[in-house]
Amino acid sequence: MTLSQVVSVAGNAGNYTVKVRRSPRYVDMDKCIACGLCAEKCPRPVADEFNEGVNNRKAIYIKYGQSVPLKYAIDPNACIYLTRGKCRACEKFCPTGAINFEDKAEIVELKVGAVVLAPGYQPYDPSGEDYYGYDSIADVVTSLEYERLLSASGPCMGHLMRPSDNREPKRIAWLQCVGSRNTNRCSNGYCSSVCCMYAVKQALVTAEHTHGDELSQTIFFMDLRSHGKEFERYYEDAKAKGVRFIRARPHTIDPLRGGSGVRMRYTTEDGRQMEEDFDLAVLSVGMEATQDNKALAGIFDFSLDSYGFAQTAASNPVRVNDGVFVAGALHAPKAIPHAVTEASAAANEAARLLSEAKGALAVEKTYPDERDVTQEEPRVGVFVCSCGINIAGVIDVNAVVEYAKGLDHVAFVENNLFTCSADTQVLIRQKAEEMNLNRIVVAACTPRTHEPLFQETLKEAGLNAYLVEMANIRNQNSWVHQKEPEKATEKAKDQVRMAVVKAVRNKALTRLKVDVNQKALVIGGGVAGMTSALSLAEQGFPVVLLEREDRLGGNASHVSATDFGDSVPPMLKDMIKKVEGHPDIAVHTNARLKTAVGSVGNFVSKFETHGETRAVTYGAAVIATGAKESIPDEYGFGSDPRIHTHLSFDKLMQAEVSTVQKADTVAFIQCVGSRDSRRPYCSRICCTHTMKAAVKLKTLNRAMQVVVFYRDIRTYGLREELYRKARELGVLFVRYSPDDKPQVRTTPEGVMVRGLDPISRFTLEIEADYLVLAAAVEPHGNEELVELYKCGANADGFLNEAHPKLRPVDMSVDGLFVAGLCNYPKPMDEAISQAQAAAARAAVVLSRKEMLLDAIKSYVTEHCDGCALCVDVCPYRAIRLQESTGEDGRMHRMVQVDPALCKGCGVCAATCPKDGVRVHGFTKEQIKAQVASALESLSGGRA
Amino acid sequence: MITFRVGDLAGILGVHRNTVTNWIRSRALPAQPGVGKKYFIEEEAIRAFLSGKNLPEEAVEAFLNQAVLTMNRNLPAPSGQGKDRGMEKTTPTGSVLVVGGGIAGIQATLDLAESGYRVHLVEKSAGIGGRMAQLDKTFPTNDCAM
Repeated sequence: MTLSQVVSVAGNAGNYTVKVRRSPRYVDMDKCIACGLCAEKCPRPVADEFNEGVNNRKAIYIKYGQSVPLKYAIDPNACIYLTRGKCRACEKFCPTGAINFEDKAEIVELKVGAVVLAPGYQPYDPSGEDYYGYDSIADVVTSLEYERLLSASGPCMGHLMRPSDNREPKRIAWLQCVGSRNTNRCSNGYCSSVCCMYAVKQALVTAEHTHGDELSQTIFFMDLRSHGKEFERYYEDAKAKGVRFIRARPHTIDPLRGGSGVRMRYTTEDGRQMEEDFDLAVLSVGMEATQDNKALAGIFDFSLDSYGFAQTAASNPVRVNDGVFVAGALHAPKAIPHAVTEASAAANEAARLLSEAKGALAVEKTYPDERDVTQEEPRVGVFVCSCGINIAGVIDVNAVVEYAKGLDHVAFVENNLFTCSADTQVLIRQKAEEMNLNRIVVAACTPRTHEPLFQETLKEAGLNAYLVEMANIRNQNSWVHQKEPEKATEKAKDQVRMAVVKAVRNKALTRLKVDVNQKALVIGGGVAGMTSALSLAEQGFPVVLLEREDRLGGNASHVSATDFGDSVPPMLKDMIKKVEGHPDIAVHTNARLKTAVGSVGNFVSKFETHGETRAVTYGAAVIATGAKESIPDEYGFGSDPRIHTHLSFDKLMQAEVSTVQKADTVAFIQCVGSRDSRRPYCSRICCTHTMKAAVKLKTLNRAMQVVVFYRDIRTYGLREELYRKARELGVLFVRYSPDDKPQVRTTPEGVMVRGLDPISRFTLEIEADYLVLAAAVEPHGNEELVELYKCGANADGFLNEAHPKLRPVDMSVDGLFVAGLCNYPKPMDEAISQAQAAAARAAVVLSRKEMLLDAIKSYVTEHCDGCALCVDVCPYRAIRLQESTGEDGRMHRMVQVDPALCKGCGVCAATCPKDGVRVHGFTKEQIKAQVASALESLSGGRA
Repeated sequence: MITFRVGDLAGILGVHRNTVTNWIRSRALPAQPGVGKKYFIEEEAIRAFLSGKNLPEEAVEAFLNQAVLTMNRNLPAPSGQGKDRGMEKTTPTGSVLVVGGGIAGIQATLDLAESGYRVHLVEKSAGIGGRMAQLDKTFPTNDCAM
């Protein structure tokens, strides 16, 4: 329901009645075909909020080209008829009579069992902040405006132009922490946690959108916070590519004479006054709580913090009330993967609450009957995607279209701005029907991400899903041949021709149904593993939980409080009790996984526990094997009992608090073993851990001197509060650079730490009673799992997710899900929400009694003579040798493929010397045709 | 509606689990399959069914109590309902309201819909997609945000 807002709610968790106000759209959704004639004729321009007001839309509009639903709407505040009673131009021109000025707001009543709130954030508005000059200088834009300027579907069609004179900017500066970490001009004391990375991304992406070599990108920052997975590498990559990072906050921005560009003044760390001119300044604006938060908090009865973010407990970071769950920026600023994870976690909590009513109200999607095309002559429809400028910026798509029209069997060709958009799907269906198409070729991007979408479209058009073929003219062409547009266009023609000859030979395939074993395996009995196990068991799925140690709890047993002050031991005790007492959870300690065979829906594993081997069958698994604190090999660790790591110092603080609080000086060194050549990643949790410890020390003894040697303080999100508190309490922060690390020597009086203070340029030496090293978090035991499941890990040894943004808890192997520190270092609240999300995703698999497998599988032909060469090469152990006695009494040997295990990789077909085994959709005939077609261009044009 | 396990019912009747499953398949016992080995049934229906089996009253009550408990285990904070079977029992509604059609709201909606719940997605503006739809590319892979 669009244009709708919740008005009120009644009832209790499990049974709510929600009233939703649906504002009038003034356009009949059933009649609108999104032809756009209305917007063309509408005389009233309005600033386009989707493009951050960079350009105009009309009073009748769609949000953006790929909008869902793709139906126009009338903005009642702008429409001339609705405000002044005259015009109705859109009504006159609408070819389907979809305009309905009689449309009225209505209240819809919904009966629901649970509520998930995800209202998002609003970007900080820098208007009124005179020193940024956002109001007065044309070439000062916010980062979201800049995002639209870069976007291929944005107002400049991807050709970057600055607002003042529409020229391409060359010297661009980013200003970090605009409206974040600022309690002086605004009251946003928190860090928005995403701006550093998006600024680095924008700086890098800008290079792809500009011409020539003169581009220079400068980022002015306070602390560079690249605390996520692969972020540190991205940051290093940006530095290597020449992006300039300056640790400074420009204090004055003036317009340049002539009205274009800006002059910035700033002070460098060593005190020099600088003045520099830029063509364009981008303000990296932070995230703020939306106005809706207040209304929602009132309606659903939960509390907000002083910034307007929802308050949750660390033990269940997505719950605000019985039956009301939250996701995304509603309760703290966060990046996309974290928001997606929380969304799954919130879904999990809702499903847990309602598990009894599961399926009661669900509706299945139905498709038209499949048309049998075996007797038809192939009629191919080719859709060439521009992908904004991603493809069309390099390849001459019109030439490709014209070329494709001349190919055999091609009945229809068209170019689309985005072939993946919702309106194009409608178009493909229409054309398939009108032109009686029976094969579709999409020349666009990779089938890995987009083939399922087009297969769905074919099914809706009454065609078998396997009659679609994709030519990857983006990833394999326009992205890699940016400098050679002409050759790229020729290559695109080759790719399209090859796809067409294959498509002509595509046959309808049926997907295989297999039963799903509705049981789960959870590997790892830390907080993440236990959370997943409990979530799944409470939804009715039996769980086997394996723990490597002799007790549950994992790293959490060393932690006393979360980053937000919740006490951990009681929460952990309660969780262990619930897990051990749950009738549907079988806990095995001292357990090690030994084997893993099978695939999604049906896995079989053996594990060893207390010396005996047991077997377990399961449909999905959550991997939550955790990580560990590394043992430092620098700063004299191990040589002196006064030198600690975080965990050993925490222990000391608990055991001997009276001794520790008498200390005169405690020093911390950050990034010990992180962000170096051996572990080129940020361990994410150590800065906050240091803040917690420092604040605690200062609270115990205000007179104590606490000094932190750091590189960048990365107390992201609401954790910034702890940093602020530490500074308020007088903790000293001394920055060091990796080329000039602090020097440590031990004397009987204390641990001497020497460092250079970059601001005063003095070397200081402190005599500390304790030195605490913020040791890196490193993975452990992941190699075994990678080996067993053939799942992926990154270069640092952390298990990989299927997609870093959109599938943050799915693994590359279907049916496996990842949670907690084995995926990347993270604090407990994030580990818990990830574990809830993993449970939700696993429940998607386990909810079904049977599931459909991909139809791309190998099959055995009559040519097989049982030589069994393929048995050895199959990486999924899907092929077995079968012996049987024929009617003539002779022994026959043939191979057999287990379709549930087969992934359709084709190694068997490539190995087989006699065409005894083939892969559906990739038969020799199809591949030969493609090869022959590829060679046509070499032999001088079409044969 | 109450939830029970096939094994529990077989236990009090002294029959094999498969016998109970067969009754359910042949509709002699009008129960609906749930998740795992659990089944849903109207309380009246199961009482009527058990009354024909000449069981002692206590055994029937004990079974029904246990069956109700199985159900409540899935409900956090049952706030007194259900355990006291004199009170009216409520089954939760199998649908969820999601407020906000950005990337988080969309993901929650998909997960719930794919696990068998009906979802109402409420979005303030004219189309879903939220902030992420406004982005050009996303770090660290520089994938197209759309």
